Amino acid sequence: MNDKNSQKIVDIIQNWARKHSIWVLAYGTGCGAIEIPPTMTSRYDAERLGVRGAATPRQADVLLISGYLTVKTIKRVIRVYEQMQDPKYVIGFGSCTINGGMYYDSYNTINVLDRYLPVDVYINGCMPRPEAVLSGFAQLQKRIAAGRATGAQHYKENLEWYRANQKKIIPNWVMPDYNW
Amino acid sequence: MNELKEVIIKRIKANFADAAERNDFKDNRLDIAVKKETIPSILFYLKDEMGFIHLSDIICVDWLEEGELEVVFILWSPVDKIKVFVRTRLDRDNPVMDNVDMIWRQANTYEREMREMFGVQFTGLVAPDEFILEDWQGPPPFRRDFDTAAYAEKTFWQRPGREDAQDVRETIAKRDGEEIPDFAKKYSR
Repeated sequence: MNDKNSQKIVDIIQNWARKHSIWVLAYGTGCGAIEIPPTMTSRYDAERLGVRGAATPRQADVLLISGYLTVKTIKRVIRVYEQMQDPKYVIGFGSCTINGGMYYDSYNTINVLDRYLPVDVYINGCMPRPEAVLSGFAQLQKRIAAGRATGAQHYKENLEWYRANQKKIIPNWVMPDYNW
Repeated sequence: MNELKEVIIKRIKANFADAAERNDFKDNRLDIAVKKETIPSILFYLKDEMGFIHLSDIICVDWLEEGELEVVFILWSPVDKIKVFVRTRLDRDNPVMDNVDMIWRQANTYEREMREMFGVQFTGLVAPDEFILEDWQGPPPFRRDFDTAAYAEKTFWQRPGREDAQDVRETIAKRDGEEIPDFAKKYSR
């Protein structure tokens, strides 16, 4: 057996395991935070799919960004994302992360999240119901199993482009430049 | 109630010559306009002598056409159940007025917000420069001549719309083989 094939088998097993234990760091920035308690608790019970909350960024696999992000919050989100350890995925939740939603012309909220962070799955709606959230998680599981949820890798490869976009809206950059 | 209002207005007018009362149709509401130099003394007087001990809000109104900013103090008297609006006008290009956080401590927060959002300067206000906005470099964003849409377009990238620009109503009707009712047709593109 050569290295390439054995790596393939390892990847399949890894992805299968990752798919069934998605630990979520819910970053409740906007109104979307209110949809997460019913998703996690007994009514919709996301834990039967392996989705459960994590306490800190370092223990989490998925960063669930629920709602609009102001310039002030995206600073913290970037910092949280860079503290997370591989494997890591981002779910953009609600219209505001896709195209700004109803805050498209606000002076202080960003419009398109994937300019600043690599988003693996978007859940649209304003607000998405818990069913839509679960559907988004199912979609993420499919992508992980197929090995297509490679946002973190994309972020590492295109770090300069992301950094330039981030520094354009955050002129006073005081965060550490992480060493990949 | 009206008699009580008249008594209060008389007492205010006796003490402050520049106080101009505005017509207010609500029974439990008073509306007084004064010059900006009078603001600290009239607020002290209303709090200590007239029982308006509660500061509900301080708001700022931008009168762009007249070149003025209006600062409104809203006070409430829990004994008389009367709300009083104390208004003052500032020059829009140089909006400076006296700090009143020695009368109510919570005024400090409102003044910081107004300084950031409208650019009103309060002489003697002790507070950090930044309140809500971080690293803000543009003009005060709540002024009416600040174009939020143009600023957002310049600063934040906008995702372009779909090129085919489908009409959702027509597309769904065609897909499901339904007819659009007459009352809904005028909303179609």
